[in-house]
Amino acid sequence: MSTPARRRLMRDFKRLQEDPPTGVSGAPTDNNIMIWNAVIFGPHDTPFEDGTFKLTIEFTEEYPNKPPTVRFVSHMFHPNVYADGGICLDILQNRWSPTYDVSAILTSIQSLLSDPNPNSPANSMAAQLYKENRREYEKRVKACVEQSFID
Amino acid sequence: MADENDNERMDDNQKSDKMFTLKKWNAVAMWSWDVECDTCAICRVQVMDACLRCQAESKKDSYGKQDCVVVWGECNHSFHYCCMSLWVKQNNRCPLCQQEWSIQRMGK
Repeated sequence: MSTPARRRLMRDFKRLQEDPPTGVSGAPTDNNIMIWNAVIFGPHDTPFEDGTFKLTIEFTEEYPNKPPTVRFVSHMFHPNVYADGGICLDILQNRWSPTYDVSAILTSIQSLLSDPNPNSPANSMAAQLYKENRREYEKRVKACVEQSFID
Repeated sequence: MADENDNERMDDNQKSDKMFTLKKWNAVAMWSWDVECDTCAICRVQVMDACLRCQAESKKDSYGKQDCVVVWGECNHSFHYCCMSLWVKQNNRCPLCQQEWSIQRMGK
């Protein structure tokens, strides 16, 4: 059955293929357009550089009026990523707009990797190290990058 | 040798008071509709076409006459009325500019 949410997701997928943003990719899973797999490449000139971070995106029939649930599958060490991979990002919660699509979501998460917000931490250790001991923070992030090649 | 000759020729050209004459002039004009955007940013379908929801429903129960109208806000952003009426139930702001949403006009 084709619902408005599913039709919108087909358009999102088409746009993602025709006009792919650099450093991110995503596609619906084989038998369910409501669940997507995505990859974000660690941005250049950040400790996340060269990492290939995998995510899942789960949509509801209320999309695009409600945001999807986005979660890192790869282990992350980032001030705004919870231990279970959940992401603390305003546009995925209270600042959501129905004009966003998968492309916009993935590029926003990519820029969150470059610019963490340590003042609203989801991982307090990462936030503390980011503010107080940048060398140790970068060391822990680099370990995640290495890990991302395996999982 | 060849280079030197070229340079001399260029100097001669620069000395003449008329470097070129305009022989033909083609003016090009552009126009566009006086609306901020012509694709509904919510469902990504042209505002002049029926929204995704109406497209799906008209196929299902063939209410061909149900018109899917366009709504313009005071901010001059346009959306399908169907798409916007669902969104304003949870947040009464324009999804594009975040201004308080108030309807300027509706129609096709």
